[in-house]
Amino acid sequence: MDLNNVETLAILIPLLPLLGAVAVGVIGLRGLRSNSHWLVLIGVGLALACAVRLFMNINLALTKGGSGCIDGLAKSWLIYGWINAGVTWMNVTFRIDSLTCVMLLTVLSVSFLVVAYSVGYMRDHHGHAERGYERFFAFLGIFVFSMCMLVLAGNFLLLYLGWELVGLSSYLLIGFYYEKPSAAAAAKKAFIVNRIGDFGFGLGIFLIYYTFGTLDYKEVFDLVAKMKMAGGAALSPDRVTAIALLLFCGAMGKSAQLPLHVWLPDAMEGPTPVSALIHAATMVTAGVYMVVRCNVIFSASHYAMWIVATIGGITSLFAATIALTQFDMKRILAYSTLSQLGYMFLGAGVGAFDSAIFHLFTHAFFKALLFLGAGSVMHAMAGVIDIRHFSGLARSMKITATTFCIGGLALAGFPLLAGFWSKDEIIHAALSSDMPWLGYMALITAWMTAFYTFRMIFMAFHGQERLPRDVHHAHESGPWMTAPLLILSVGAICAGYVGVTFGGHGFLGVFEPHGEFHHFLSYFTSGHRGTPKHVGAAEAGWLLGGHRLMYVSAAISLWGIGTAWFFYRRRPTIPLAIAFASGGLYRLLYNKYYVDELYDLALVRPLRRIGMVCYNLDRYFINAILWVIAAVPRLIGIILKGWQTGAMQGYALAMVVGLLVMIWWMLVAA
Amino acid sequence: MNGLFEHHILSLIVFLPVAAAALLFTRTSWDAPTVRRFAMFVALLVFALACYATSMFLNQSATERGQFHLVERLHWFGDTDSLAPVHLQYHVGVDGISLPLLLLTAFLTPLAIWGSFTGIQDRCREYYSLMLLLHGAMLGVFCARDLLLFYIFFEFTLIPLYFLIGIWGGSQRTKAANMFFIYTLTGSMLTFAGVLYLGWKASLLPLGADKTYEFSFDLDRLYELAAAGYLSLDVQWWLFLAFFAGFAIKVPLFPMHTWLPLAHTEAPTAGSVMLAAVLLKLGTYGFLRLSLPMLPEASVALAPFVSILAIIGIIYGALAAWVQDDVKKLVAYSSVSHLGFCLLGMFSLKMAGLQGSLLYMVNHGLSTGALFLIVGMIYERYHTREFAKIGGLARKMPVMTFFLIVFTMSSIGLPGTNGFISEFLVLLGTFNSSKAEAGSPAGPLGMWYAIPAASGILLGAIYMLHMARCVLFGPLKEPGHGFDSSTGLTQDLTRREIGILVPIAAVCILIGVYPRVVTDITAPALQSQVLTRAHHMVKRGPAPAVAMHDVAPVSNRCEVEVAR
Repeated sequence: MDLNNVETLAILIPLLPLLGAVAVGVIGLRGLRSNSHWLVLIGVGLALACAVRLFMNINLALTKGGSGCIDGLAKSWLIYGWINAGVTWMNVTFRIDSLTCVMLLTVLSVSFLVVAYSVGYMRDHHGHAERGYERFFAFLGIFVFSMCMLVLAGNFLLLYLGWELVGLSSYLLIGFYYEKPSAAAAAKKAFIVNRIGDFGFGLGIFLIYYTFGTLDYKEVFDLVAKMKMAGGAALSPDRVTAIALLLFCGAMGKSAQLPLHVWLPDAMEGPTPVSALIHAATMVTAGVYMVVRCNVIFSASHYAMWIVATIGGITSLFAATIALTQFDMKRILAYSTLSQLGYMFLGAGVGAFDSAIFHLFTHAFFKALLFLGAGSVMHAMAGVIDIRHFSGLARSMKITATTFCIGGLALAGFPLLAGFWSKDEIIHAALSSDMPWLGYMALITAWMTAFYTFRMIFMAFHGQERLPRDVHHAHESGPWMTAPLLILSVGAICAGYVGVTFGGHGFLGVFEPHGEFHHFLSYFTSGHRGTPKHVGAAEAGWLLGGHRLMYVSAAISLWGIGTAWFFYRRRPTIPLAIAFASGGLYRLLYNKYYVDELYDLALVRPLRRIGMVCYNLDRYFINAILWVIAAVPRLIGIILKGWQTGAMQGYALAMVVGLLVMIWWMLVAA
Repeated sequence: MNGLFEHHILSLIVFLPVAAAALLFTRTSWDAPTVRRFAMFVALLVFALACYATSMFLNQSATERGQFHLVERLHWFGDTDSLAPVHLQYHVGVDGISLPLLLLTAFLTPLAIWGSFTGIQDRCREYYSLMLLLHGAMLGVFCARDLLLFYIFFEFTLIPLYFLIGIWGGSQRTKAANMFFIYTLTGSMLTFAGVLYLGWKASLLPLGADKTYEFSFDLDRLYELAAAGYLSLDVQWWLFLAFFAGFAIKVPLFPMHTWLPLAHTEAPTAGSVMLAAVLLKLGTYGFLRLSLPMLPEASVALAPFVSILAIIGIIYGALAAWVQDDVKKLVAYSSVSHLGFCLLGMFSLKMAGLQGSLLYMVNHGLSTGALFLIVGMIYERYHTREFAKIGGLARKMPVMTFFLIVFTMSSIGLPGTNGFISEFLVLLGTFNSSKAEAGSPAGPLGMWYAIPAASGILLGAIYMLHMARCVLFGPLKEPGHGFDSSTGLTQDLTRREIGILVPIAAVCILIGVYPRVVTDITAPALQSQVLTRAHHMVKRGPAPAVAMHDVAPVSNRCEVEVAR
């Protein structure tokens, strides 16, 4: 087994976590019990090592080869023939290019840290494992396997496999505390809402096959780039738009974009490490990954790009407004995830695919950090996560508070931290596109982000120490939990620097946007890059000149943080006053725009009622018809019974009549 | 010995269970454990023979697999000397279409029998001999190469199942058994009319060089008859409708499905398993074996009609399943929904759709069969299946939960399980049906059929996860009396029960990861037995006038016969 070989490494990457999970199922449940985590930790750790090795190999090949042509730089190969679809085969093919590498590194490094963190989190304060400890790690292993399959897939069908399998892992992990009705309901909801998106996604895949006669990425993208269908006929723009929009349906479900966002906040019922890994850093970004992967298809349709950008921008703002009013730490973070995913789609929608992936990359670190920090708080507060019930934790939980604060700063777009660079790029791209209003909206969202993040930080960590009733003293979590926090906070500070260039006369005289990260990624996007929508720059000209936008967004971030400080530290009465004053609006936001209730009323209940109608139709209508049909022979019997009188005269009369008829017929016939 | 196996293996497979059933029925002195062991042994032996037959089949080269193998042909009865000779024969054989279904039957029956060990406590001897009789009849349908033989086996399955439901069923068993019997019998009467008509029609076709004519039901001859254009479009229409009556009720196709939920719910566990896994497939198998290759023009003409009913069934069945308050009824309605997919793929007349449809038959047998087994295991413990009375069982039955989740996922077509492959292929075939490709002309359906049908994948998730949510998750809820351990059951699954479910789960995953274990067998047969015939005829257009001219002397001869 040659470990330098890209193909071997790529097969090992998904396989190792899967083996870990299966091993937990086989030996973890019997012997290892509360040491089961080692199996998955080692599996994911080795997979991470493979991914690093893979990245080094690819990077070396890129710098040596260096041409911008995608064929030389992307490697796809067949593992085995999967489905025989008559004319063509659907195969299990892997594809490795720079986008795959970036995704693998992001997914596996966060996964590794989260698995390590869970070792501490899934135990009580005495170090005893929670019930279902082994099950939890097995599920995590399955998730990492599925996510790697999703990323490594070389065709749409295998992508769909990974896509659905991460959905399964998400379902199993949200419902981990299955005895809680809310958790069981949330798991079901997540799966079903995702399936609504996948309905469109699946049809998109069928339409791709219908149009191009293949599902292989390379073949499809080549054809789209030439605007050709299978057989060489011209591809109509409407067809591309339809394909792009159907695929985007899937992304809306998986990445929880409006109007399919309802499952993500509920998914917070799962254990916190799961929220960090699946519902913040990795799985929910699969939609963004898919759109970027299909950038050729999307950029071939102006209309589809417009939809992607608009949905992204609106979701971003919409979720941020809800986050302003929530009190559950995890839910605030969930809405913030929605909002940040919206940013990524906005970036992709205006053609800045590399910026979207850059934001995905930085977001993975700081959002995972925030969730894990929230988990650390939750662990210390005996499961309480409502920020109205505790405050002043900074004194007793120094590491958690510090790292959480770093994560918060990165999320808020505080200058020089990871989130600042990537968010700024997206806003820049949006402002310079033909939809600058989305850029202004993104700026407003940025202010809200800074505000709600620090509202949460000030309420939870500052002020005088207050604890929930059952907790006697807050204490810092153990090393299994704090070590990942510390590592991730390094990531939250530094991850952005792979995407900037130093020197020149840039921001603060030192920083120029776009760096090594974009250069590496460009090997993926350049081959088939569609025309970026860098038009209409004049409208937002002033902001885009020099590095003004960077200073402006830095100022906005500081303004948001400052406002939060003023509201929640200096004058804590103001928020209440505003809430009272705005009345209906506040209630609307607090109840998340009543979207859940709307769906229940407009979709769930009518569908169930139709189901009832169907069932009753079966029981009463169709069976009644059958009863009528069954009654016909009996009815005939009853009628004929009357003729069987047994009276000779009647029979004789019938005979005579019959004879007469026969004679008459014979005469006439003759 | 080797010769016996090579030449008579299919007869052995079909008649071994029948003979064993007869033997078992007369052994009044045997006690229940002996009876169970004997039945299990016979079913396993049949499975081993089926595996052996499969290995013999697989010895053929890939191109040869499109044809029939292990053929056995015997003159049965008839008069060959008279002017209108009748030649009825015993003719069996398997090709890539029937082999997977034969294996499915042979695979699931031992498991269903094993699953009845604790559930069936009274009249064991009769129960197991009826199960074996049913087994033989089902295997016979898939082996038959003669239409009359096919019909005999097809109808014969009703008798053991009638008794299985009527004697060992639930509280409404009599009603369910009667409804099941009369419903399906009514349909198959019309089918029989079609069968007879085809046999008569076959007597119009000259046989061989010396131009003899005979009344025959041999499928090879009937295909020849159809290929030669003796069946005009009008005739095909009527024949299609006659077959449709029997097969659509069996499938069951909306709106002829109302017998199914009742029969399923009332049948004992093994009965439900056999009913769902194999008996419903007799209908779809009939369409695939008889309607499509023999009556292709009528099939194409009526495909929209059948497909619309199938799509209504998909949605209707799913919605009705969602509102059930009984687990078993929910699974029963899910069959209505799933079988809709099966028919839809078939009528796309595309390789992908046909592959998907045939694979769907196997997959539905595996996953729904396993679901019924699990429902039976729950019922044996709590004597109820109502959502209102049981819930949150994951707490007490983690192993059962594992398996139920696996089969739920298989049932809703999660990629990586078998259900996905077939659902995908069916929808792909339907979607692409309207498109002509190299070597594959356009079929009668198209994307406007696939789009509403695809909603089935969403609705499937809704009702199945609703079931999982109610039965497995949430706070623990069980009837006051707790679980029933009188037959030696433990709270969670026993070793026997795990042993039943593990093989099914393994096959589900295997087919999901590497579906070629089935599709490599089915592809050549579907091509040569169904698609080529259908396309050839549809391309050729309606029956040529020349063929009718050929018929003339024969019909004259018949008139002479009648006049005498």
